[in-house]
Amino acid sequence: MKGCIFNIDGGYLEGLCRGFKCGILKQSDYLNLVQCETLEDLKLHLQGTDYGTFLANEPSPLAVSTIDDKLREKLVIEFQHLRNHSVEPLSTFLDFITYSYMIDNIILLITGTLHQRPISELIPKCHPLGSFEQMEAIHVAATPAELYNAVLVDTPLAPFFVDCISEQDLDEMNIEIIRNTLYKAYLEAFYEFCKQIGGTTADVMCEILAFEADRRAIIITINSFGTELSKDDRAKLYPRCGKLNPDGLAALARADDYEQVKAVAEYYAEYSALFEGAGSNVGDKTLEDKFFEHEVSLNVHAFLQQFHFGVFYSYLKLKEQECRNIVWISECVAQKHRAKIDNYIPIF
Amino acid sequence: MTLCQLFLQSEAAYACVSELGELGLVQFRDLNPDVNAFQRKFVNEVRRCDEMERKLRYLEKEIKRDGIPMLEIPGECPEAPQPREMIDLEATFEKLENELREVNQNAEALKRNYLELTELKHILRKTQVFFDEMADPSREEEQVTLLGEEGLMAGGQALKLGFVAGVILRERIPAFERMLWRACRGNVFLRQAEIDSPLEDPSSSDQVYKSVFIIFFQGDQLKTRVKKICEGFRATLYPCPEAPADRREMAMGVMTRIEDLNTVLGQTQDHRHRVLVAAAKNIKNWFVKVRKIKAIYHTLNLFNLDVTQKCLIAECWVPALDMETIQLALRRGTERSGSSVPPILNRMETAEEPPTYNRNNKFTSAFQHLIYAYGVATYREVNPAPYTIITFPFLFAVMFGDLGHGALIAIFGFWMCYKEKPLQAKKIDSEIWNIFFGGRYIILLMGLFSMYTGLIYNDIFSKSLNIFGSSWRSNYRNDTLADNKLLQLNPDSEDYLQYPYPFGIDPVWQLAESNKIIFMNAYKMKISIIIGVFHMLFGVCMSLWNHIYFKRRISIYVEFIPQIVFLTLLFFYMVLLMFIKWTSYGPTPGKLGSDDPDVIRTSAYCAPSILITFINMMLFKTDPNTRPQCDDVMYAGQMGLQKMFVVVALLCVPIMLFGKPYFIMREQKQQARSQPLGAGPEGAEGAQAENGAAAGAPAEAPHGAHSHEEISEVFIHQAIHTIEYVLGSVSHTASYLRLWALSLAHAQLAEVAWNMLLRKGLMSMGFQGGIFLYVVFAGWAAISVSILVLMEGLSAFLHTLRLHWVEFQSKFYAGEGYLFQPFSFEVILDSAGQAEE
Repeated sequence: MKGCIFNIDGGYLEGLCRGFKCGILKQSDYLNLVQCETLEDLKLHLQGTDYGTFLANEPSPLAVSTIDDKLREKLVIEFQHLRNHSVEPLSTFLDFITYSYMIDNIILLITGTLHQRPISELIPKCHPLGSFEQMEAIHVAATPAELYNAVLVDTPLAPFFVDCISEQDLDEMNIEIIRNTLYKAYLEAFYEFCKQIGGTTADVMCEILAFEADRRAIIITINSFGTELSKDDRAKLYPRCGKLNPDGLAALARADDYEQVKAVAEYYAEYSALFEGAGSNVGDKTLEDKFFEHEVSLNVHAFLQQFHFGVFYSYLKLKEQECRNIVWISECVAQKHRAKIDNYIPIF
Repeated sequence: MTLCQLFLQSEAAYACVSELGELGLVQFRDLNPDVNAFQRKFVNEVRRCDEMERKLRYLEKEIKRDGIPMLEIPGECPEAPQPREMIDLEATFEKLENELREVNQNAEALKRNYLELTELKHILRKTQVFFDEMADPSREEEQVTLLGEEGLMAGGQALKLGFVAGVILRERIPAFERMLWRACRGNVFLRQAEIDSPLEDPSSSDQVYKSVFIIFFQGDQLKTRVKKICEGFRATLYPCPEAPADRREMAMGVMTRIEDLNTVLGQTQDHRHRVLVAAAKNIKNWFVKVRKIKAIYHTLNLFNLDVTQKCLIAECWVPALDMETIQLALRRGTERSGSSVPPILNRMETAEEPPTYNRNNKFTSAFQHLIYAYGVATYREVNPAPYTIITFPFLFAVMFGDLGHGALIAIFGFWMCYKEKPLQAKKIDSEIWNIFFGGRYIILLMGLFSMYTGLIYNDIFSKSLNIFGSSWRSNYRNDTLADNKLLQLNPDSEDYLQYPYPFGIDPVWQLAESNKIIFMNAYKMKISIIIGVFHMLFGVCMSLWNHIYFKRRISIYVEFIPQIVFLTLLFFYMVLLMFIKWTSYGPTPGKLGSDDPDVIRTSAYCAPSILITFINMMLFKTDPNTRPQCDDVMYAGQMGLQKMFVVVALLCVPIMLFGKPYFIMREQKQQARSQPLGAGPEGAEGAQAENGAAAGAPAEAPHGAHSHEEISEVFIHQAIHTIEYVLGSVSHTASYLRLWALSLAHAQLAEVAWNMLLRKGLMSMGFQGGIFLYVVFAGWAAISVSILVLMEGLSAFLHTLRLHWVEFQSKFYAGEGYLFQPFSFEVILDSAGQAEE
C-alpha cells in the first residue's frame, strides 16, 4: 500500500537519485583511470563520464586536494538538491544522514582545539554536509557539560549527547568515547526511525544500519586492545541495533584479542566470511577493506527495490566510496606509486 | 556517398582538416575506437585548447559581471589559425588572465579594506547612541539608586565594565545572542543596531546586510569567552575608544581614509574596465578560433599514423559529387601549409552501409526534417521529401479549408519568411518560437493552400463569398416564403440557372440550413477517399523505383505488381464509381424534365449509394432494395466485371504471401546444387569478410543476402508484410476520412464562433450596440486565433503528419539509414554557442 502513494512525494526524487546513480563510474572507467599517467589524463577521462566539466575551470597543474574538493562539492550539491526538494518524512530521513557528518565535524573540531589549532584552520576540513550554525564557536567549551549546554543543545544532536555529559574532561580518550557514544545513540535512533517508517525502507535500511552497527562494535573491540579502556566501558559503546545484539555483543565485550573476536564472528555467516578473506599479509585485503566491500554490496542491493528511502542513503554512501576511489587513484598517480593503485573498491 | 581513404602529410594535415572543416562535407570515421581519450596523439594540443577555453571563460565571466557588451564577430567568421598562432594566443590569454587576476586581487584587498573602514564608521556612529544612553543623567540616577552608595563605593574599580564592539551578519544575530547567553550564563549585555545600507562582501561581491553590536561584560575570563564566540560566528571586532573625544577623532580619521580609498578604488576599477573592454572586443573571435583549433585536433585524433610517422591516414565518407570540391580544399590546405606532397584521396570499396545525405536548402530542409523525424532514409532509398512539399500543405489545407484562417496563417508565414534574416540574427531562445520559425516555409505554404481550399469550399470565417453570382434563384412568392420555414429549390426547374457556379461551392449553400451539412459531407467524404486512394497509389508506385534501384527483380513481380493490382481493382475502382455517379446521374425530374423512363433511370432518384455498392461487390450480392423504375447496376456488365475484380484482387494475396519465400527457396536450392562441395555459404561469407578486411573496413554481413536467413523467418516476415498491406489498404483508406472529419469540425466550430459571438454583436443596435460589438469582436477574434487557427491548425498538422508517415510512407519507405554528419565548423560552433547559453 505504501508503494502506491510513494510517488506522490518521493517519485521525482527517487527518479532523480536513480539517475544520479547511473552516473557512478563503472569497472571499465576504473580500468581506464588506473592507466592514467598524470592527473591531467585523469581529468580528461573524467570529462567523458558523468562528472563532465567539473574540473574544467581549474587551472593546471591539478592537485589531488582540488580533485577531492571538487568531487565532494559535486556530491554535496546533488545531495542538497535532493534535501531541498524533499518533504516529510523523507526530509527527516535525509537530515538523519547528515547527523553522522555533524558528529564527525564536532569531534574533529574538539580534537583540533585540544591540539591548539586555530579554528579557522579546522573549519575548511569539516564536511559541508555536517555543518551547523554554532559549529565554529565550539572551542568555547572546555568540558562535555559545557559543550552540551552552550553549543549542542540547539542542534539536532542534543538528544544523542545526553549520555556523554558525565565525562569529566576533554582529553584524547574521552573524545573517542564521546564520538562512539554519540555514534551509538545516533545509529540506534536512526534505526528506530527507519523501523517506524516501515515498509521497504525499513527492510533495506535496517539491514544496512545493522551492518554498520556491527562493524562499529567489531572495530571498537579490535581497536581497544592495548588501551586503558575497561571492558565495561567498552561494552557501553556498542550500538545495540545490529545482528550481534545481544549475544554477540556480550561475547565481544569479553574478548581479549583478535582471535577471540574472530571466534565470535564465526557464529555469524556473513561476518565470518569477511574475517576469512582478510589477512595482514602484503597482498591481502585488510579487514577494513572487506567491510567496505560488504557495505558497497549492501548499498548496491538497495537499488534492487523500489519505492523506499534506502536509495538516498545508499547513493550517498556509494558516491562517497567512489570519491575515495578516485582520490586513491589520483594519489597513486600523483605520487607515481602504482603498485597499490588497484586497491580501489569497484562499485558496479 | 563513397568511403575514401585520405593520406595527409603530417605537416599539411592540420591545414587540410581546417579547410575541410570550413567546407563541412566530410564525415570522418574513428580509426582508433579502442584507444583511450588520453592516449591519442594530439591529446596535448586538445588539452592546451581546453586550458585556453578555460581562460576565455574566465574572461567572459568577468566581462559579463561588469556588464560590458561583447562585440559580435563582424562579417566573416575567422579562419582556424595556424598551429604556430596557437602559442601567440596562449600567451595573450595568459597575460590577460594574469593581469585580470592581479587587478581583481588588488580590488578585493582594497574592497576588504574599504569594508572594514565602513564597518568601523558604522560602529562609531551606532555605538555613539549606546554611549549617549549610558551617559544619560537620568539613567545615572537610576543606577545610583539601584546600587546605592555602597555598591558604588565597593565597586569602584571592579564595576568598570569592559566591552567589545563589532559587526556581524544580520541573520546570525539570534543564534549569536543565544550562544552568548548560554556560554556566559547571562552575564553579558548585548546591544545591537542594524546597518541600514547593505555592504558588499568582497570575496563574492554580494550585497549583505549586517548589524553592529556591542557587548558589555565584566572580567577577563568573560572577555576571552566572548571573543571566542565572536570569532566562531565570524563577527569582526573593532577597537572602539571609550572616551567620546577619542571616538570623534577616530571617526574623522576613518572618514578621510575612506575618501582616499574611494579614489584608489575608482582607479582600480577604471583599469579593470579598460582591460575588460579591450578583451570584450575580441573575445567572441577568440572563442571561435580556439574552438576551431580544438575541433581540428579532435578530428586529427581520429586518424591513424602510418608506420613511418610521415603521414596520417584518415577514412571518411564523402558525397561522390563533391569529390572535386574536396580535392580543391585539400590542395588549398596543402598550399597554405607550404608542403610539397599533395594529399591523396583514394576511393575504397566497402560492404558497409554509407550514411544518408540529402542536399537541402533552407526551403526544403524543414520538409526533410519532417521525414527524418520518422526515420532517416535507408541509403539511396526514394526520399519522399520533395513530394511532401506539395502534398503536406495540400492535405493540411483540405482539413483546414478556410480562406480567412488560411490568410492569417499565410500572413504569419510570409512575415517570417520576409523578415528571415533579421529574425535569424536575433537568435531568440524560446523553443516554441524556434519550432515556428524553423517551419516558416511549411507555414507559408499551408496558409496559401488553405486559402485555395477555402475558396473551393467557399468558406471565409464560416461565411461565403458570392463572387460570380449564385446559379440559384428563389421563385417562391413572398407569402410562401413568409409562411414556411424550410423550402426546397429543385435543380430541374427555373430555380437553377442550368449552369454551375464557376469556381468552388455555390454560395447559396450557405443559406441552406437543413441540408448544407448533408451536401458538404457527401462532397468532402468522396473527395477525401479520392485524394487518399491517389496518395496511396502514388506511394506504391514509389516502391517500384526502390525495387528497380536496389535490383530486387523478384519484389517487382511478387510484391509491387500484386500490390498495385489489389489497390487498383478494389479501391481505385471505388473512386471510379464515384466519378461515374457524379457524371451519369442528374437531378430528379421536376418541371423541366419529362417522365421518360431513361431520364428517371439517370436521375438522383435512382443514384445508388457507393458504399452499399462497394460492400455488395465484396459480398458478390446485388442490391435487394432497388427502387422501382431504377436499374440495379450503374452501367452494363457491372456485376461481371466487379466479380472478376474481386477474384483477381483476392488472388493477389497468396502471390504477395508466398511469392517471395518461394523464389528465395528456389534460389537457395540452385545455389546448393551449383556448389556441391566445399565452398558452402560459410565459404562465401568468409570470402566476403576477407574482402572487407582487405578494404580496411570491419566486415559486415552483406545486405540482400537472403540465403543466410532462415526460410521460416522469411515466411513470417512476408506474412506480416502481406497482412499489414491487405488490412492496411482498408484501414488506410478509411483513415483518409479524417480529411473530411477535421474539415467538418473546423467548419462547424467556425460557424459556432460566428453565430454565438460576432452575430450577437452585429445584431445589437444603437450606441450601446457599438460598444457591445467592440467587446464581442475581441472575444471572437481571440477565439478565432487561439482555437480555430492555433489549436485546429495544430491538430490538422498532426493529422497530416500521420497521413504522411503512416498511410503514405508505409507503402515504400523503410527509414533504416543513419544520417551523414559531416565535420563542419559551423555545426560545432553553433552547438558550442548553444551549450554556453
